[in-house]
Amino acid sequence: VAAPDLLDPKSATHNTKPRLSFSTKPITLTPREESEMVATVMKWKTVTAIFLLVVLYLVMGAAVFRSLEQPHESAQRLAILSQKLEFLSKHSCVNQSQLEELVKQVVSAIRSGVNPAGTLTNHSSLWDLSSAFFFAGTVITTIGFGNTSPHTEGGRIFCIVYALLGIPLFGFLLAGVGDQLGTIFGKGIAKVEKMFVHWDISQTKIRVISTLLFVLFGCLLFVALPAAIFKHIEGWSALESLYFVVITLTTIGFGDFVAGGSEIEYLDYYKPVVWFWILVGLAYFAAILSMIGDWLRVISKRTKEEVGEIRAHAAEWTANVSAEFKETRRRVSVEIYDKFQRAASIKRKLSSELGFSPAPELTLPRRTVSVNFNDERDKIERDAGLQGLTTPLTRNGGLYMNGLDPERGDISIIEHLK
Amino acid sequence: MNSVGKSWLLLTGLIVFYIIYLLFGALVFSTIERPVEEQLRRDMDALKQEFLNQSCVSAASLENFLVRVLTANKYGVSALRNSSVTSNWDLASSMFFANTLVTTVGYGHTTPLSDTGKVFSIVYALIGVPFTMLVLTACVQRIMYPLVIAPVCLLQRSGLEPRPATVVHFLLLLVLVVLCFFLMPAAVFSAVEVSWSFLDGLYFSFISLCTIGLGDFVPGMQPRQKYRPLYQVAVMVYLFVGLMMMYLLLRTFHKMSDLHGLTSFLQLPRCEDSDMEEEREPIVHEDSRTANNVTEKAASKPLDPGSQPSYNTINKG
Repeated sequence: VAAPDLLDPKSATHNTKPRLSFSTKPITLTPREESEMVATVMKWKTVTAIFLLVVLYLVMGAAVFRSLEQPHESAQRLAILSQKLEFLSKHSCVNQSQLEELVKQVVSAIRSGVNPAGTLTNHSSLWDLSSAFFFAGTVITTIGFGNTSPHTEGGRIFCIVYALLGIPLFGFLLAGVGDQLGTIFGKGIAKVEKMFVHWDISQTKIRVISTLLFVLFGCLLFVALPAAIFKHIEGWSALESLYFVVITLTTIGFGDFVAGGSEIEYLDYYKPVVWFWILVGLAYFAAILSMIGDWLRVISKRTKEEVGEIRAHAAEWTANVSAEFKETRRRVSVEIYDKFQRAASIKRKLSSELGFSPAPELTLPRRTVSVNFNDERDKIERDAGLQGLTTPLTRNGGLYMNGLDPERGDISIIEHLK
Repeated sequence: MNSVGKSWLLLTGLIVFYIIYLLFGALVFSTIERPVEEQLRRDMDALKQEFLNQSCVSAASLENFLVRVLTANKYGVSALRNSSVTSNWDLASSMFFANTLVTTVGYGHTTPLSDTGKVFSIVYALIGVPFTMLVLTACVQRIMYPLVIAPVCLLQRSGLEPRPATVVHFLLLLVLVVLCFFLMPAAVFSAVEVSWSFLDGLYFSFISLCTIGLGDFVPGMQPRQKYRPLYQVAVMVYLFVGLMMMYLLLRTFHKMSDLHGLTSFLQLPRCEDSDMEEEREPIVHEDSRTANNVTEKAASKPLDPGSQPSYNTINKG
């Protein structure tokens, strides 16, 4: 398969949410030359870690396969050996070496693609034009079933040259098809999202839902439907059909099950339709895989972002709290000042009424109080106030001694300060 | 012609050319292989006839027997006397199988027989294939610097223009890869495997490293192979490193064609190295409206190189 790009730098710039990408490109991490040189040590560690993970994954798979398959294999082996013995005992005129020879010949014939079971006449060639076309297709897409393979030297050399030119060609084609597919789906999803916007659901939810819809619809069209068709035409079980679909569309292509490879009578257009399905299905799978990759990349980017955002928010919050605190202190001190002034004036009144001379009062440190309701002057005073926070400013009738009003968007000041 | 129209035209042209290419390949394969097949079929019939003539076996029971032998053989179980007792599913062979699964080579010399095995294969492949791609490209990313960028810089410093420098470097890299990953392993394989010629080894290397994996040649499948587990592990390592080098080659080729303007001519997305500028932009927290606009813009301009995610290589093969 054209290897999907799971980590694409472009997606980072376009969105804060995962973008649906339908490209068929291999995965890359951004080549940041300068930072690469600086952080080379860490990156090698990451690669080694991932590599070890892959090895672990392989070993795990090997263990599971062994435990699942070995009993079956032993059973098969026993069965065929007993078959052989039974045959030999039933037909006493055949000695073992003759049988061995026959079996060896038969097996090598099968390897060459000729099935000796059955009669000669009703065999269709494995290399008639339509089958050869199918074989060429499997080579180019790198699926490589292997149920037919070239056996002549000339055939093999030609195969090499053919693949050398054809695989990049198919790669381009897949890229183009993937793009068109992606555009179609992208438009459809944009329309769906437009519908949902009226319902006032969050953007992320819409995006997630639309992605799921895309995946499900694609699965239905490219996986479930063909599997059902194969089950019906080829006579496989449901699991075998699904297995064939997945193994083919990931371009693994074992060849134990091949659509159009059995001895059934096929309709004329069956093989070309299968080939077309492979083409589009490959594009779909590549799109899915690159979408997963996009998500991975955006998740890693978003995590970084969010961590950064959290830090920024925390700093903001701390600044807010300290501003509030300072303000409360000032407000309290102003209130005390106010009360003191009032007490002093009452005292004066009383004393004047009673004929006492004004007593020396405790004077609070002088503060200039300026009342202004003009934002511009506010700003200027605010800026001026930044230098020395002792200058009180008033706004909207209130007294704020340090000029920072959290309710009025002093975040910007805090940002400016930062 | 506007950009969208041009892209559709290019795509149709590409598809038509692709079909022609397939037809051409079909014709050639057919002409080369068909006579050989006919001959083999005639030989088989003669063999069967000969066997039946000289024995008391009836045609029906022979057919029956053959069908069973062939079914067993399809699953890798040989009915021959001198076939090795070693299983196809011991740990090393299972690992080899798992490796062919995740690298998508898929020889098919052994395939899961049980239903559970098939289900597990599906799940394992669906997770393992992207995972392997990730690892391979991450590795390629790391070795890109010492193997590509540094030599190109070196070449440029020694007086070449940028464009010829990249071409020269690419050719050198190509020669190196062919020597180390095709010719040398072919020689090794033809020496180790009894029945393989040099051409067979070369054919095997090529078919495996392009992940086609037809399966007509699989190393280590002979009876009484010495050090079979070690051999299989070595082949696995060779496959992995070889795949990495193929990716590297393709990536270098793509960057080179970027430089020479091929990708914009063919309306293909560019190598994402050229998008480093955009990556350095601060990621602005857009509100929903602008995000929608961006999506629609991206959706309506499918092949505009600036708006598409870039490809660093088109195909892993």
